[in-house]
Amino acid sequence: MVNKDTNYYRKLNIHPSASKEEVKRAYRRAVKKAHPDVNKRDGATELFLEIQEAFSVLSIPEQRQAYDQGRDDVDPTSLPIEIASQFSREGIFQLDEPQIIYAIINIKVSEEIKNIEELPLNISVVLDTSTSMDGARLEILKAATRDIFRDLKDEDIISVISFNDRAKVVLPSQNVSNPQSLDSSISPLYAAGGTEIFQGLEIGLEEIMKNIRGQYVNHILLITDGHTYGDEKKCQELANHAARRGVVISALGIGNEWNDEFIDQITSQTGGQSLYIKELNQVKPFFRNNVQQLQKAYAKQLILELQTAPDVELLSAFRLLPDANPLPAEKTISLGVLNQDQPHRILFEFLVDPIPSKVERVLLADGIFTLKRKTGDLDIPFLLERKTIPSDEEISPPPEIIFNAISHLTLYRLQEKAQQDLAKNKPDAAYQRMINLASHLMSREERTLAKIAMKEADHIKSHHNFSPEGKKQIKYGTRRLMLPGEIRENQDHDQL
Amino acid sequence: MINCKICKNKEYVGSFFCSECGSQLLADDDLDIDTLVIPSREKRDTKPSAPDQKELAQRDTDFALYNPERGKYLDIPPNHEFTIGRHVEGQVITPDVDLNPYDAFENGISRLHATIRFDPQSQQYFVLDLGSANGTSVNNYEIPANSEVPLKHGDEVKFGKLKFTVLIPENE
Repeated sequence: MVNKDTNYYRKLNIHPSASKEEVKRAYRRAVKKAHPDVNKRDGATELFLEIQEAFSVLSIPEQRQAYDQGRDDVDPTSLPIEIASQFSREGIFQLDEPQIIYAIINIKVSEEIKNIEELPLNISVVLDTSTSMDGARLEILKAATRDIFRDLKDEDIISVISFNDRAKVVLPSQNVSNPQSLDSSISPLYAAGGTEIFQGLEIGLEEIMKNIRGQYVNHILLITDGHTYGDEKKCQELANHAARRGVVISALGIGNEWNDEFIDQITSQTGGQSLYIKELNQVKPFFRNNVQQLQKAYAKQLILELQTAPDVELLSAFRLLPDANPLPAEKTISLGVLNQDQPHRILFEFLVDPIPSKVERVLLADGIFTLKRKTGDLDIPFLLERKTIPSDEEISPPPEIIFNAISHLTLYRLQEKAQQDLAKNKPDAAYQRMINLASHLMSREERTLAKIAMKEADHIKSHHNFSPEGKKQIKYGTRRLMLPGEIRENQDHDQL
Repeated sequence: MINCKICKNKEYVGSFFCSECGSQLLADDDLDIDTLVIPSREKRDTKPSAPDQKELAQRDTDFALYNPERGKYLDIPPNHEFTIGRHVEGQVITPDVDLNPYDAFENGISRLHATIRFDPQSQQYFVLDLGSANGTSVNNYEIPANSEVPLKHGDEVKFGKLKFTVLIPENE
């Protein structure tokens, strides 16, 4: 390597024995001081790049070790991870009013990384066995749970919890080596009582924690068909705790009664996904997909810390891959598992304060992705920044991927707004909103969904509310539009 | 800000779609409006028929609501604050101004639809929607329920489907 001043420790102003956390903090400090936005002196940009380089070496255990030993295989550009960003405009307008700019960030495992060792799974299946699950629902859940068993490997760990008003450990956390024990424990399950999700999640998390050691990918699969009352807050605290311990919660809602807003909050806090299914035959594919995805984990947890610049506000964040899910507007976001073959893609919506014409570059945000891996944590920094352009400059159209994402997000928001209209007792506004939504869906050739939107508009007109089924179909239908076409087709195929 | 050509909603520069009606936004000088998806309802600025100034002067009032469709002034009490709505037999709280003579029911007027209030301190009139079923708009902007919106001379205020022009003659 080129032998310029490569004392990375000095660059970050830390001692060679600094811990991982200290390296990260030092990087954040240095970045803020050196960013060309703030530092106008000559050489600021070079200094800035050097800090980036120092961090990218010191934050990766393998690289740091090589560097410490004075070996020459240190290469700050060789990362097992690729990060790419795209923006809705090539530049930020020099403008005396606030403006919006969208960014998409894509993170994936480099294709050069091959033969990744599989991480063992630590799964807890939390089954709703309230009265409404009686009959076919419960039998299908039992069958799907047995299927999970078949898909797991010997070193994997599973537990099964059933809950109604109270939770019960059906199968304590254990290795998958004894399938009979599962069969004999889930067969006698019967449906009775109400739905208290907290009870189930709490015991599920307890079972997971028994085996949280090592490199296990920790995942709770919650299946419910009911509304939980009074324990929402406790559930959120639990989800928060789970996220910090590296446990992801995914949920499957069956039928029309379950509380999708609440379940969304729980799963998105941990980086999991929530899915709505109408048909029971989708239970098995959901279970199988989930397990298969977990088995392809490169990092058992991906965490994003995003810090916006002082004159920039993050209006919203929405994940587009591997699934379409709104993300909580928090500084630290747990994104769940990062797979070998599936990128994570996030759409950010930033509101930028007025920009005077003398400013040349604008920093939107800086962030760090942390990957929890078998070989140690990996911190990867990135910057979202743009040059400025005069507000009258001719600009090229936005990248298609961004435009499509925003276009579909707008539709998703229309149904959200219709729900808000109804909450504010404005059925006419909600009706109009659904009519608009239907016409936009129609123009995008989404006929099935457009028809449902029309039907719901009529329902709102006569009943001043969505139909329970239509409400979820529209919500999850418009959300799914945000997934790239080929993924939607694959899912359709799986669900047949 | 960019104005949505369909519903007149304002969006930040850099937005691509109207967050209210979902239509694609175009730059002001872009006349290629035919490519737009036109939702079923289009809002248009309508110029109300000019109210009779002489009659207004004779009314000796500092606040009037003029209905351009009928060419009539609404009878309003000389209070600093009054409610507007649709009177129904047996109603406990009745509105100060009853819009039944203006086909209140057909026009989607709620029993207690809105309040208009004069604030002596700021010398301004305000309209407040009382959570009506069909809402209140000022200049085609639907105002949120239970928050006061100032009224200026010439504003168009719409209760349900019923339009009035706000007239506040200057007192010399």
